[in-house]
Amino acid sequence: MKRNFLTIIIGAVLIVIFALLLFVFQVRLSEVAVVTTFGKPVRDLTAPGAYFKWPWPVQKVYKFDQRVQNFEDKYSENLTADNNNLLTSVYVGWKISDAATFFPKFAGGSVPAAQRMLESMLRSAKSAVIGKHTLSEFVNADPKDLHFDAIENEIEQSVQAQLETNNCGIQLDFLGFKKIGLPESITQAVFARMTSDRQILINKYTYEGEAEAQKIKSAADRQASEVVNNAVADATRIRGEGEAEAAKVLPVFQQNPELANFLLRIDALQQSLNQRSTLIFDERTPPFDLFTGIPTSSPAKTIEHE
Amino acid sequence: MERNAAKNGLVNLIAAAMIFVAAFVVTGYARSLAGQLASVLLGLAALVAFVSWFQMRLEENERLEKLEIDELSKTKDGSTLFKAKDSEVFPASRARAQFEKFFVPGFGVLLFLLEAGGAWLLWHWISKSTTVIAPERAMPALALFAIFALLLFLFGRFSVTIARLENHRLLRPGASFILLGAYICFATALGIAGVKAEFPQADYYVAKVLCVLLGLMAAEILITLLLEIYRPRMKGKISRPIYDSRLVGLLGQPESLFTTAAQTIDYQFGFNVSETWFFQLLKRNLLVLLLAQFAVLILSTCVVFVDAGEQAVVERFGKPVAGGVLSPGAHFKLPWPADRVYQYRTEQIQTFDVGYIPDAQTENEKTILWSVAHAKEENFLVGNREAVTIKNEDADTNDTLKAPPVSLITVSIPVQFQINDVMAWAYNNADPTNLLQDLATRAVVHYLAGVDLNSVMSQARLEAAQTLRDQIQSAADTRKLGVKILFVGLQDIHPPVKVAGDYEKVVGAEQTKLATILGARAAAIATNALADALAFTTTNIADATRQRLEVQALARAALFTNQIPAFEAAPSVYRQRAYFQTFAAATANARKYILLVTNTDDVVIFDLEDKIREDLLNLNVPNNSSP
Repeated sequence: MKRNFLTIIIGAVLIVIFALLLFVFQVRLSEVAVVTTFGKPVRDLTAPGAYFKWPWPVQKVYKFDQRVQNFEDKYSENLTADNNNLLTSVYVGWKISDAATFFPKFAGGSVPAAQRMLESMLRSAKSAVIGKHTLSEFVNADPKDLHFDAIENEIEQSVQAQLETNNCGIQLDFLGFKKIGLPESITQAVFARMTSDRQILINKYTYEGEAEAQKIKSAADRQASEVVNNAVADATRIRGEGEAEAAKVLPVFQQNPELANFLLRIDALQQSLNQRSTLIFDERTPPFDLFTGIPTSSPAKTIEHE
Repeated sequence: MERNAAKNGLVNLIAAAMIFVAAFVVTGYARSLAGQLASVLLGLAALVAFVSWFQMRLEENERLEKLEIDELSKTKDGSTLFKAKDSEVFPASRARAQFEKFFVPGFGVLLFLLEAGGAWLLWHWISKSTTVIAPERAMPALALFAIFALLLFLFGRFSVTIARLENHRLLRPGASFILLGAYICFATALGIAGVKAEFPQADYYVAKVLCVLLGLMAAEILITLLLEIYRPRMKGKISRPIYDSRLVGLLGQPESLFTTAAQTIDYQFGFNVSETWFFQLLKRNLLVLLLAQFAVLILSTCVVFVDAGEQAVVERFGKPVAGGVLSPGAHFKLPWPADRVYQYRTEQIQTFDVGYIPDAQTENEKTILWSVAHAKEENFLVGNREAVTIKNEDADTNDTLKAPPVSLITVSIPVQFQINDVMAWAYNNADPTNLLQDLATRAVVHYLAGVDLNSVMSQARLEAAQTLRDQIQSAADTRKLGVKILFVGLQDIHPPVKVAGDYEKVVGAEQTKLATILGARAAAIATNALADALAFTTTNIADATRQRLEVQALARAALFTNQIPAFEAAPSVYRQRAYFQTFAAATANARKYILLVTNTDDVVIFDLEDKIREDLLNLNVPNNSSP
């Protein structure tokens, strides 16, 4: 009996739980719900809490996330006002502002279907707005020429206007560029230009260095030449002084000019024969004239003395 | 009574075969995926019913044969007839034994192949199939499958009841299959009803479930075949046919769970385990135990443990409980589904990366170079002040070379954050982590679009990290994310890998410039020093010359003064002596030719040209121009 009582209690609790699951549903703070009776929307609930419903198939509850949802569109190519191809990707934050309106617009309140619609609106608005602006308004080192925020606002307003016209129960909360870039072929061209930029600097530094070096060397050469020339001039002057000083003893030689003249000639002869010389003498040149005065058994024609 | 078993088997076979054909036709008509599966399972039911009926016939023949032999043995006891071999005397018995020994295992293998192959093929076919049930054909198909379910249920229940009688065990496989077929037809009808009620996937899901069931049946028969090898065989013990699926029996008769379990255990262990007190206790109190377990499960949801570094939000019927943010530790709450808890990592520092995806292969490298990709890097557009206009200085006009005011740059920016308001994090945005990454990426794109490439890589780099941090924090606050940006690191910022080498060459050129200038300075120093030395040398040589001239002049004067008396004493001898002394000394190293002329008409020719040494003439000079 005791065991049956326990079984009944547990069974009753389970039945209550299953009944709650069948007849009661919860709406979280982050959710909004639409209740349909045989397919017809009869209530939309935005406040969190527990609510009663008739079990399926009489009533059905559709719950939606009422928080801001975000998605990113495709990285797509558009033409700017100055005919530059620009790749952009935009992220969007949106939320269901009116579940009762949202629910019938998309099959079963399909969020992916809503995102698809929003994405098509976004791409259309994005293309239109990008076509009105030049590339330099997207990217510019000069802040006053950069219109990044303004372009985002234009796209956002365009999408918001379309949403209001369609009355989809969707509200666009924010929008921003997540990626901007250039197509591959243009990217390669930009790389080539960046390389050329660098080549300018490379040449600048290389030839500036060589020019500077050349200047330094020529200045040094000039300075060296100046120093050497001065030295040579000094040396000439000094040698002149020496010669002048030496000339002072010339009167001594005047005592016997004949001897002085002879000695000078002797000196000149000695100095002139200092180098490797070839001398040709005949038999009359002293002391070789001795060869003619000495009797021999067979007269020699030529004697070469090495 | 015995004859009724075979008749019932035949009825089962005819019913299963007819309903199989009918279900196949209806499935083709309605294009129901679940109907395809139901047809296959009904086909298997017909096959099993046929084999079990055939085996019943063999047993029946054996029984009749035994009766005839018994009758004959009473009248002709001791005749030679009964001394013959068993195979000759009991052909029906032998046929039955051969059937059970060879055909039944073979049929088990065939059944496994059909079930496993069917499950595999149908699963893939269903996954790729785009077939949908035509709405106008749904109702007739629904009605017909419901009728099939009813008919099969009636046949199945009747046969299952009959199968419990003695010697009717072979009715059970077909009966169980037929009863399962009834439930499958009912499930198929439900799937079609779901499609009719605008749940187009209902038929698909029922088909998937039936595929899984077919796969489980295949697995079960495979296990049975393997166990059959090791099954202890006892003489006189009647074995259960391999094709008699316990799973099918259980699904067809859920109440027989315990019976099946007991039979299985008894069969495998070889003694009556099901008769033990524990098994009986379990059988009597199973419902209570299951309920108690469920109750414990519900009670266990009254306690929640929040890990270190986390916070949890408690919702009661979907509404956050006042002050319901739980800190780490154990907490009590109302049981599920009244209270629900959602946990978040609040204390933990979370990180994501902007501009690159870390690459496991290059992550462990010790050196990071601009010219080598160290992650999957993304190129960002960046302003380029220098390239906007370049004046063409060579031209007379004011033409300028216009270039797009953009360059490309690669950045690696890790962002670290912490959740500081768990309620804002949980309830304001559906995917806050992804949104924060979007906001951070946008901040980086925006920042780089408005700065100069060279500036951001050099002097603006320090302030860039702080600016980005402020901008990301501001964007997160505006979107009410409830996070605190702890760190934004501009850990790597450089030109894309493809042009990074050229940037390095610029630095190289700058260094080369300095080197060239320094080299010139060194050369200038050498030149000036050598010039100074040369000047010094020249001056000193001149000084020495002057000194030599002066000294020699004085010495010569002194010498001359002393030579005068000698000369005056013997002018001719002195002169000769001086001449010959000087001559001998001066011509000592000279080459001398002395002509002793005897015939003045002779012409003597001297070749005084310097001779080049012979070894130099014989030197072979290599010819570089030759190939």
